This record gives sequence, structure tokens and C-alpha cells, in this order.
Amino acid sequence: MLALAFVVALVIVALFTPWIVPGDPYDNDLSIAMQPPDMTHWLGADDQGRDMVLRLAYGLRLTLLMAAVSLVLGGGLGMILGLMASFYRKLDGVIMRCMDVMLSFPAILFGLALAAILGPGVAPVILALAIATVPLAARIVRASAVVEMARDYMEAARAVGMEDRRMIWRHLLPNCASALFVWATLRFGQVILLGAALSFIGLGAQPPTAELGAMASQGRTFLFFAPHIAVVPCVAIFLIVLAFNVLGDGLRDALDPRMRV
Amino acid sequence: MTKTRVLLAGLLAFWSGSALAQMAPRDTLVVLRAIDADNYDPVRSTAIASGEVVSMMGDTLVGMDWDMKTVVPGLASSWTVSPDGKLYTFHLRQDVTFCDGRPMTASDVVYSLKRLADPATHSPVRWRAGPVKDIRAVDKYTVEYELNSPFSELLYQLSLFFGTIVDQNSVEKLGQNFGVQGFNGTGPYCWSSWTPRSDLVLDRHAGYKWGPPIYKNPEPQVAHVIFRVLPDSNTRLAALQSGQGDVTQYIPFFALDGLKHMPNVHMSQQPNYFLDYFLGFKIDKPVVNDPVLRKAMVMSVNRAAITKFVFFGAADPADSLLNPATLDYDPKSKGMEPGYDPVAARQLLDDAGWKPGADGIREKGGVAASFTLYGLSDPQSNRAWESVQADMRRIGVDMKVQLWDATVGWGKLATQDFDAFVMSYPYVSAGDALNLYFPSGNAPTPNRMNWKDPETDAWLGQAREATDPAVRAKALADVQEKVTEANVWIPLFRGQLWVASSKRTEGVRAHGLYGIGLYKGLDITVGK
Repeated sequence: MLALAFVVALVIVALFTPWIVPGDPYDNDLSIAMQPPDMTHWLGADDQGRDMVLRLAYGLRLTLLMAAVSLVLGGGLGMILGLMASFYRKLDGVIMRCMDVMLSFPAILFGLALAAILGPGVAPVILALAIATVPLAARIVRASAVVEMARDYMEAARAVGMEDRRMIWRHLLPNCASALFVWATLRFGQVILLGAALSFIGLGAQPPTAELGAMASQGRTFLFFAPHIAVVPCVAIFLIVLAFNVLGDGLRDALDPRMRV
Repeated sequence: MTKTRVLLAGLLAFWSGSALAQMAPRDTLVVLRAIDADNYDPVRSTAIASGEVVSMMGDTLVGMDWDMKTVVPGLASSWTVSPDGKLYTFHLRQDVTFCDGRPMTASDVVYSLKRLADPATHSPVRWRAGPVKDIRAVDKYTVEYELNSPFSELLYQLSLFFGTIVDQNSVEKLGQNFGVQGFNGTGPYCWSSWTPRSDLVLDRHAGYKWGPPIYKNPEPQVAHVIFRVLPDSNTRLAALQSGQGDVTQYIPFFALDGLKHMPNVHMSQQPNYFLDYFLGFKIDKPVVNDPVLRKAMVMSVNRAAITKFVFFGAADPADSLLNPATLDYDPKSKGMEPGYDPVAARQLLDDAGWKPGADGIREKGGVAASFTLYGLSDPQSNRAWESVQADMRRIGVDMKVQLWDATVGWGKLATQDFDAFVMSYPYVSAGDALNLYFPSGNAPTPNRMNWKDPETDAWLGQAREATDPAVRAKALADVQEKVTEANVWIPLFRGQLWVASSKRTEGVRAHGLYGIGLYKGLDITVGK
């Protein structure tokens, strides 16, 4: 419940950032650069003299947005491919071997390749994360769907001549949804971590855009002199990933009948 | 803050002392640096990383004194210039040998300098040789350098490492691998081995005694020099303090103040150091083609605050196109450079019809005051561009920053895909800087501003061909004033050259010709 409450709080902050923490996250005052936390700047100021609370809130917003968009894109495409592979057995081998090939490339590599082609930025990172998510989603959905396909209700639907599309969307997908949902929650944390890693190595959000990974990267130069610049975004990443993992575990426990024994 | 930095740097050194390898070897100078070069051929590389090694492996006809203005003898013990400024006659030393022991003669000088000037070499610095008509050996130790038209910059240019005299046999034997697999020069140290992105090892040149007269002792004092690449600034710093490295000019800005107070580190500064950071506008691109907007942008940048808080005082604010200490600097142009005044800048834009939009970014005739800036990514200075960006945003100008890795960045900076760019560059004189960036013929690169002005071309031509220093200075002053008035550049910061050395070294003095900290590295001794 704590994790759920934390995640809900994160989402609220991300959705209503300008109202919750009013101010310009890009407005700097070099005279307070690297200032440690005090009553005026609760989390201190960064190396450009920008308020860390503001940067954190806007960074959180972008980080969650990047993760959500990439998960929707990658998860959505992976889900469709997984359903196709399980429903049309002739396609199964082709689709899943393609997914195996994609799985052999780590997300960081996709990020590097896309940044080389498109230049660094938020869009290539989202694309890289989405591509890396597709085979994982496809495998999860296919695994559930193959089991569902063998059940009587699917046989019955086929026997009465139901359209393929209706069978997939009305019957197959809803019965695979819980597994997909639990996986997506767990994956959300991983995607945030990967996105932050790509930004950390300079492929993601570019200055002055606030993004947690980029903020951590920017702060590491001053780790010995102004540790708060790197520590604040790192702790934020840790807590967000932890919250999504705990939430995912909780959802799995709640939705898996075997766990209720 | 300073005490904290010293304490933390000390802790870092203690930690690194246990974590890293052993101390630097005996009778060996370990030079720590941030990056490697792709080759060490003087006519094929313009990198400081290349020049700092080539300067030790080879010599030039003339050298440069510590004041960065006085040309001193090098391989040429004396020279004369004809009254029309077209014929330079160099009288060579007769005691010079290459690293393989072969005596150096006039034919080697002719070969090396013709190689630089020959279009077939495709040297990026060919222009530095001037309008060469012929270079010939009059006798075994006399060289005549004949020009089609006078080139008043010639001696300064020949003092740079691009004019290093190399062994023809070695160049022809190694071909494209010259400076990659080996190097045979006349410098105080000789090529031994190179492991790219790691160590480049040089050995003392036996019998070398023809170093420039700016040194107390013209002979090399240590048996070996290792140029060691440590890309991470904290690691480099720790290696220096723990005695695993002896000397470095690549000092992270944040550590400079602490190092000055460090008892086991000696700091040497070159006050006559010409390495400037500037922001250039492509004056024919929309938005930045507006001179009023350019002037307002110049007025918006708080250079003093950026040098203090971003560079930690390791750079000085630039309030003129060129460094006041440089040869042929024009003091009048300094008065024409707009100072920091964001209030007046906003007023200027209001009066010119640039009105703030809903997002705070100004607009005029439906065009937003927004442009794209390219630059090379460099951890040391990237933060500065962010500060400049914030300053411009404060007057309602949106500058989008796109930084590139050096491997692709130079290619990107040769395109017309951007509106402005940031760069740092070393130079030896006003003529050197202006002849590089402002002739029409040098567009699109290095004249990335697309500054094509017949008057500027004429003045630069006059300066190049002047035989009277006063005429040259006047022509270059005219260029400085015109370019300053047009606000083609925002002169941003002047780099400082500091060389940090460990306690076991003595005689380290920052030189800084073309940004090279140690130059010949003579006078440096290494204790146990």
C-alpha cells in the first residue's frame, strides 16, 4: 500500500508539476551555484544555481513520461505480436525467432545506435526503450495466450464461427491482461532505470532539460564538493524504481490465485 | 570552500594511492593528459594532443619566447628577410642530427616545409606556410624561402609545430603510418612506442644540445618521457597527487584553486596564453542575421559570473575580440565591444520590434528569436554553454544547444545546419587569429560565420603583405573594429594555462605556444 501511495503521489506530482512547484526550472542564479540544502532551497542548488526541488519535480515528470511512452509503445506492439504468435501458429516461429534476435541486443546498444543516427535526445531514448520492450512483452503475452488458446472457451468460440479479431480482442486479450499488467508494472521500474542510464551517458535529455539520469550525470563531477547535486536525483531514481518493483510484486500477489493459498 | 576542497582532494589522493598502480618510474617524466591524438604527423594533425608530443620529438626553424611575441632561433641560428618581404634566408645550425643519428641539412628543411606547402599533402594547415613560390637549399646549411607575396606572419607560423623538420626517409618508408608507427625528428626526445589511448613513450635524444635559447639548459634532463592518457579528470588529479604522474596541463577547473594550495604540487602559469572561447553567428542565417539581436545577445551574457562560478576562476572574461597581450591587438576595438547589460539588451530588443511571446521567447514578424548552436562536447566547458543559454533566455532568446562528440563534431561544424557555434582556439597573434577565421575564402570552415566582406579581405591582404609592422597593425586593427562592431562573435572567455607538477619534478614552466604546456620540456628534472 505504501508503494501504491508513493506511485500515486509521483504521478500527481508529474501531472501537476507547474502548480505544485511553481517556478522556472531553467532560471539560474550563478551566485548560489552548488549551494547545499537550506530553508530557501530545500534540496540545495545545482551547479548552475538552479533550485533542486524544481529540477527534481520537472525531472521526475520527464522521466515518468519517457518510461510511460516507451512502455505503451513497446508493450503495445509486443502485445500484438505475442497475440498473433499464439493465435496464428504458422506465424509463431517467425515472430518469436525475431523476438529472440531482438532480445540479444541490450537496450543500451539500441540507445547508442539510435543516438548515432538521430543525435542525442529524449526521442531516441524513448524509441530505444520501446524497441527493447517489444520482445519482452511479446514473450509474456504469448506465454499466457498459448495457455488460454488451449482452454475450452476458445475452442467453443472457434466452433461457433466467431471472427478471429473478436476472439483475440474480446476473449484472448482480457484473459492475458493480468499477466501483462503485472509485468508492465515491474518493467516500468526497469525502463526508468534504463532511461536514466542512457541519459547518464549523455544520450538522453540534453541540457538544460531536467531529467533524473542527466541530473545525476551532471552532478557526478562535483561529487566531492557538492554531493547533493548527484545524490538527490540518484535517491529519487532508487525510490521510484523500488516503489514500482514493490507495487509490481504486490499486484502479482493479488492477481495470482496460487499466491492466495 | 577552499579548505574543504584541499581536504577532499587529499582524501582522493590517499584513496587513489592505494587503488592505482605504483609510483612513476625513475628518471622518467610521466605527463598526464586527457585525450590522445589520432596521429603525430605535424602536417596532418591540428590537435594540441598531437602538438605537445611532436614539439618534443621535433624542432622548428624558429622558436617562440615566453612572451609569445619574440621569435627566437631554433634549427636556424639566424635569418634575414629581403626588403620586399618575399625572400627569407635561413642559416641552419651545423650540429643537428635526427634521432637515427643522421645529420640534418638544408635538404631536410626543404623537404619538410615543401611537404607542408604542397597541395598534394592535403594538410589542413597548409595556409600557414604562406604563398610559397619556392623553398630551396642554397648550400648544405642555408635555405631560401621565397614567397609570391609578402607574408608577415611567416616566422610566427614557422615557430608552430606544423613546421617541424622531419626525416624524408622515415616519411617515405612509413607513408600514411608516419607519426603512427614511428617518427624520426631532431627534437630532444625520440619516438619509442605508442599504445593508442594509453601511453606514448619517448627516449632522450643522445647528443641533443640545440634547444631554443629560452631554456637555461638546451639539453634534455630526463631519460624517458611517457605521455599517459587518463580521460577522467578526478583520476588524473589523483594520479598527480599520489606521485604516479609528474605533470599535467589538463587540470579540471574545480580543482585549480585547491591545487594552488597543495603543498606537494607546484603550479606554473603562463600569463601570455592565447586560447579563447567564443560564440560565432552565421550572419546569413535567419534570426541571427539581425545585427540588433546579435548585439543584445552579446549584452546578455554575464561573462564575469560564468568565469567565477562555472570556470571557478580558471578562465578570464573576454571583453574584446582578441587577447590584449597578443601582437597587433587593437585597444580601440575593446571599447566597441558591448558590455554586460541585460536591461539595456531587453530595451534594445523592444525598440527593434522583438516582442515577448506567451512563453517568454521574443518574436518579430511571426519569427521566434530561436536558433540552434553547435559545439564540441567537452566536460570542462559544457556547463558554460548552459549558463550562456540561461542568460539569453533571460532576455527572451531561445538558444538550442547541440553538442557533439569530437569524432563527429568537426564534420557537423563544417555544415550549414546550425545558426551559431561555440569554440575555443589557440593563436599566436592577431594576424594568426583573423587570417584563420575571417577571410571570405575560408568559408564555410573555419570561417563558419560566412563572413564575406571585401573590405575585411583587403585589410587582411594588406596585413599579410605588409613589410612595415605599423602598416600591418593598422590593417589588423581595422578588421578587429569592423568585426567587433558587427558583433559577429561573442568573445566569451580567455583560457588560462596552468601546468601542475609533482614535488619530485623541478624546472617545469608553462609555455603555451599553440596551447602546448611544456613545449620542448627542457630544464625539467625528475628526482627519485
